[in-house]
Amino acid sequence: MRSGADTVTDVETAEVDPPWEGLTGAELHAACMHAARAGDRQAMDRLVAELTPLVWHVARGNGLDRHTAEDVVQTVWLALFTHLESLHDPKALAAWLITTTRREARRPHGRKTPPLPLTDEFAESMPSTQPAPEDEALRADRDRRIWQAFTKLPQRCQELLRMTVLAGRSEYQLVADALRMPRGSVGPTRGRCLNNMRDLLSSEGGIR
Amino acid sequence: MGSISSADQILLADLRRMLDVTDPPPGDLVQRVQFAIALENLDVEVARWERMDALSGVRGGGQGTITFTVSDLTVMINLTKVGQRHRIDGWLVPAGEYGVEVRVAEHGSTSTTADEGGRFVLDEVPCGTTQIVVTVGDVSCRRTVVTPTIVL
Repeated sequence: MRSGADTVTDVETAEVDPPWEGLTGAELHAACMHAARAGDRQAMDRLVAELTPLVWHVARGNGLDRHTAEDVVQTVWLALFTHLESLHDPKALAAWLITTTRREARRPHGRKTPPLPLTDEFAESMPSTQPAPEDEALRADRDRRIWQAFTKLPQRCQELLRMTVLAGRSEYQLVADALRMPRGSVGPTRGRCLNNMRDLLSSEGGIR
Repeated sequence: MGSISSADQILLADLRRMLDVTDPPPGDLVQRVQFAIALENLDVEVARWERMDALSGVRGGGQGTITFTVSDLTVMINLTKVGQRHRIDGWLVPAGEYGVEVRVAEHGSTSTTADEGGRFVLDEVPCGTTQIVVTVGDVSCRRTVVTPTIVL
């Protein structure tokens, strides 16, 4: 195809893959950070797409309602790109995002709006108005009970579980660093959180 | 790291599914962040949305007052819906003849300058993902303050 006279195709194939193509995790973050420091907008957009779910779940795991969490996610990203030079280790990006999000979430926001009642918030975020088949209804009911038990857990548990649920995307060491835990204690702590949750579920006559 | 019991694995899988269904990031959040950072100059301070007032009416409703603050600057805007567009009446405290820009996704931006009392008006602002950029100070010490995006 390259030998052909089709210049349009030539232009398209000449577009090289970005240097972070094929990378994952901390390697991907480091490559994008490097490019972002040189002003590469595509690299910044890639980081935002990759790590916004993490920032979101940290914000939510620290007790922010969904609207406040949206603002905090934006504030954290703007803060990152304003202070790109001060982040010395690009591989520590995810840890930086977690720490900054928690600090931002814990600021006295001057807006102590009481959290929405759990059921309302659940209803708001649950796309469940359409008539559902039996399986769907059962699953929705189960999800509702899991959500209610989850929101009764201590905040530290909620945050830890949200982060491990993102696992694959966020690694163990990352979770440990962010929660300031020795690496070996993440597993046992998570186990206790899950036991705690199972107790809450069964005390409501729920599932095991 | 230890092994995970199968009961724990099942509960984690349930939790993963439940969080994906119940509490995912809003579908347009990534795009909104990407819009918010698509600024010529990224050396900015981020103003925070003060939510002491009932703002649930503002979000989506397109009317009401929003206050943003950052260190020593407060940006107050009052939104009035006029047909499909908005009129923005704003007030900067402390007052100054500062540049104010309103960026709306896919609609470019509109600029004005606040008067010496810190007041500014922007008419005919289209609906959409919106961000306000205020340039504070004089040539010797210029700072740029931005707000998170809001959907008007």
